[in-house]
Amino acid sequence: MTRRRLALVGAVLLVAACVERLTAPGDCPDYCPSGQITIVDTLLTTSINRDSSYRGYVLAYQTPLMLAAQLPGATDTLDSRPIFRINGIGRGFVLSTTDTGAILGADSARLQVRIVRRDTATHNLWVHLYRLPITIDTSTTFGSVVPFTDSLRSVNVDTLLAQPGGKDAVTGDSVVVDTVNHHLVLSLKLDAAAARYVGTDSGTVAYGIRIAADTRASLAFGKGTFGPLLQWYLRVDSADTPGGVARTPGALGAAFASFVFAPPPAPLDSTLAVGGVPSARSLLRVAFPRVIRDSSQIIRATLFLEPAVPARGAPADSFVIEARTVFADFGAKSPIDPRLGDTTVIHPDSTGTVKIEVTNLLQLWAADSTHPTVLVLRPQLEAQFLGEIRFYPSIAAARPTLQVTFVRPFRFGVP
Amino acid sequence: MRRAVGTVVAAVALLTANLPVRLSGQDSQFGIRGLGTPGRWESVRARSTGGAFGPFDGLSPLMEAQLADVAQLTATAAGATSNRDAEVGGTTTALRATRFPVMGVAGPLGRGFAVAAGFTTYLDKSWDVTLRDSLPLRGVVRPYTDEITSDGSVTDVRLAAASRLSRRIAIGAAVHVLAGSTRMTAERRFDDSTFHPVQQSADVRYDGFGVSGSVLIGLAPGLSIAGWARSDNRLRAKVADTASAVTDLPLMAGGGLLIVPSPSARFAAAAAWRSWSKAGAGAFDTWSWSAGAEFGSRRMPIRLGVRGGQVPFGPGTKAPTEVAGSLGTGRAFAQGRAFVDLGLERLERRGGGLTERVWTVLVGLTVRP
Repeated sequence: MTRRRLALVGAVLLVAACVERLTAPGDCPDYCPSGQITIVDTLLTTSINRDSSYRGYVLAYQTPLMLAAQLPGATDTLDSRPIFRINGIGRGFVLSTTDTGAILGADSARLQVRIVRRDTATHNLWVHLYRLPITIDTSTTFGSVVPFTDSLRSVNVDTLLAQPGGKDAVTGDSVVVDTVNHHLVLSLKLDAAAARYVGTDSGTVAYGIRIAADTRASLAFGKGTFGPLLQWYLRVDSADTPGGVARTPGALGAAFASFVFAPPPAPLDSTLAVGGVPSARSLLRVAFPRVIRDSSQIIRATLFLEPAVPARGAPADSFVIEARTVFADFGAKSPIDPRLGDTTVIHPDSTGTVKIEVTNLLQLWAADSTHPTVLVLRPQLEAQFLGEIRFYPSIAAARPTLQVTFVRPFRFGVP
Repeated sequence: MRRAVGTVVAAVALLTANLPVRLSGQDSQFGIRGLGTPGRWESVRARSTGGAFGPFDGLSPLMEAQLADVAQLTATAAGATSNRDAEVGGTTTALRATRFPVMGVAGPLGRGFAVAAGFTTYLDKSWDVTLRDSLPLRGVVRPYTDEITSDGSVTDVRLAAASRLSRRIAIGAAVHVLAGSTRMTAERRFDDSTFHPVQQSADVRYDGFGVSGSVLIGLAPGLSIAGWARSDNRLRAKVADTASAVTDLPLMAGGGLLIVPSPSARFAAAAAWRSWSKAGAGAFDTWSWSAGAEFGSRRMPIRLGVRGGQVPFGPGTKAPTEVAGSLGTGRAFAQGRAFVDLGLERLERRGGGLTERVWTVLVGLTVRP
C-alpha cells in the first residue's frame, strides 16, 4: 500500500515537472542567437504611377442625407439647399366604406424634418422653408430653382431650443432633441395659407430649405427613415356636415429628396480628386517591388499625399477618406475589395501632407500575388459631405509616395 | 509480484508518455550561440556515478563493447527534470525543463554477440531568448521586444553490435544517424503599435552520420579498462529543403577504468576528448573526466560520483567549464526483471560572465522481460 502511494506521489511529481520554463532574458551578443531580425525602411518615390480620377459614383439624390450650407468663401459662397417632393393623397378622401368626399383643402399641416448633423458651434441658426414647383426631380439643378421665392416659414432653431419644452406656443413649431441619435427633430406648423392643398396636383407639394447662421451654417437633414414627413389636416366634403369634416390622414414621406448646391465642383483635371458631390474617387497604381512582395514581412506602410489645393468643404465638416484595394483593375469601374480599408480625416482648408496607414493593404498584396496592386481613394461616406480634396498626381514633383517598413527573412538554421 | 509489475508498468507509461514530442538532453545558455548543448550518453545508473560507469554500463550508449555482456533482452529509458538558474550580468533567471535523454534496447543474438538500438540526444537546441532594445525608425527611436525561440533537438539514432572475442576482450561498433528538427520563431513587438508585430517561423531539419568503435579489456579479475572513438561527418541544417548551414562535427575519443575489489564495491573513472573546435568560431575542443563508485548489492545499490570538464560553446577565447556531483540509487523489482534507478545531480557551469547552476532529478527504468 505504501509503495503504491509512493508511486502515485512520484507520478504526480513527474507530471508536474513536465511544465517547461525556457524563456530567459538575452545577454547579447554572447548569449543571443547569431541571427537578428533585420528591419528595412524604404521610401518608394516612383512606384505610384498611372493614376487617375473619376467622378459620379454617388449623386446628390442617392445619398441618405440632404446637405444644407451657406458658407461665404474668399471668391464665392457655398450655397447648398435641400429640396424634396411629397406626393399627395389625391382629390378625394374615403370617409367610410360607402362614402368618399372631395378634399376641399387643408386646415393646416405639420412638416417634420430631422437635422442629423450640425455644428454645435453655429449660432443663430435659421431654417427657411420655401414652396417649390412640384416638377422637381433628379435633373433639377441649383440654377433651375434658385432663388427660392415662395417663402412659407422661417424658424430660428436656437430660439426654439431655448423655449420651454422646445415649443413655440405662438407659431406651433417645436423641436425635440433625439438623445439616442443626437438628432434634432424639427416640427413646423403650416397654417391654411402655407399648407395649400391643391386638388389638381393631387395634393402633391414640393419644398426647399435654405439655412442661415451667424457663421459656418452647415447642416445635414435626414431622408428616408429620417424624414421629411408631412402631416395633413384636411377638410373633406361631406353631405351631412356643411363646410365639410376634418380628417387627418397618415403622415406622408418624401417621394423625392435631394439637394442642389453652387458652385458646382470644378471639373476633374490632372490632380487626384477625392470626395465632393457627385463623389469622386482616384486610382493609384502601385508598382510593388518584388523584393518586398516575395521575401519579407511588411510591418508598416504609409501612403503620403500632397494636397494640390486646400481641401474644400464646410469648416466644421471634416470628412474621412479611405484607401482600399480592388479585385480587378477596370479603371473607373474597378470593383472595390471591401475586406480591408484604411482611413484618414481631412480637415477643410488644410494643406498639410495627408498620411494614410496602408499596412494591411500591402500585406494583402504580399500574401496574394494575384491581387491587383491598385489603391482606390474615396470618401468613406460618399456624397454625404460637400468636402473635396485634390492631391498632386504621380506626374507632379510632389507626387504620392509610399513608405514601407519591412523585415528581411530571418536566417533560421544558422548557428 | 503483482504490485511490482504494476509499479513498473506505471513507470514505463510515465517515461514514455512524451517521447514523440521531445527526446533531448539538458539545455544550457552556452549552447544558444553554438550548435546546441551536447547530450549525455549515459543511463541513469552511469550518470549517478558522474558518468564514470558509462564505458562499462551495457545500457549507456557511450560505447558498444560492453554490450557483449548483456545476457538477455533489456530495454531502458530515462527521464530528467532540470531546474536551472542562469546568472548573467547580475540577473538570475530560473528555468525548468524535462527531457528524456536516453532510450534503448539491447540483447544477445548468439554466444558472445549482442546488438543494440536506441535513441539519445546528440544536441539539445531548445531555448527561448527575450531582448529589449530600440532602433531609430522613421526619425524616431522605437523601443521593441524581441523573442527568439528554438524548440527541438538533434537525436542520435544508434545501431550497435558487440562481440566478446575472448574472456578478456570485447569489441563493439556502431553506426549513428543524426536526425532531428527544431521549430524556430523570431518575433518582434514594437511599443508603437502602428508598427505591426514581426512574426517569422521555420522548421529546421538536421541530418548527419557517424561511426564509432570501442574495446573493453579485462586486465585482471576486478580490473577492466575501456577505450572508444567516434567520428561524425557534419551536421547539415535545412530550411524548406534548402541547406542553410553545414557544420563539421567533432572526432571523439575516450577511455575508462573499472575496479571491482569486492562484489559490493565498484569504482570507476573515465575521460574523454572531443574536437568541437571543428564546428567553427566560438567552439572549443573539450576534455571531460569523471569518477564514481557504486556500493551495495545490485538489487539496491548506492551510487555517487563527480565529473568535470569543459563546455564546447561559449563566448571569448576560453571554453567554459563545468563541474558536477551526483548520487543515486536503484531498486530491482519482479525478481530482477525490472529496475528503477533514481539520481540527483548538481551541476555548475561557468564562463564568459555566465554561471549556470542546475539541479537535475533523474529517473530511469530498465526492463528485462
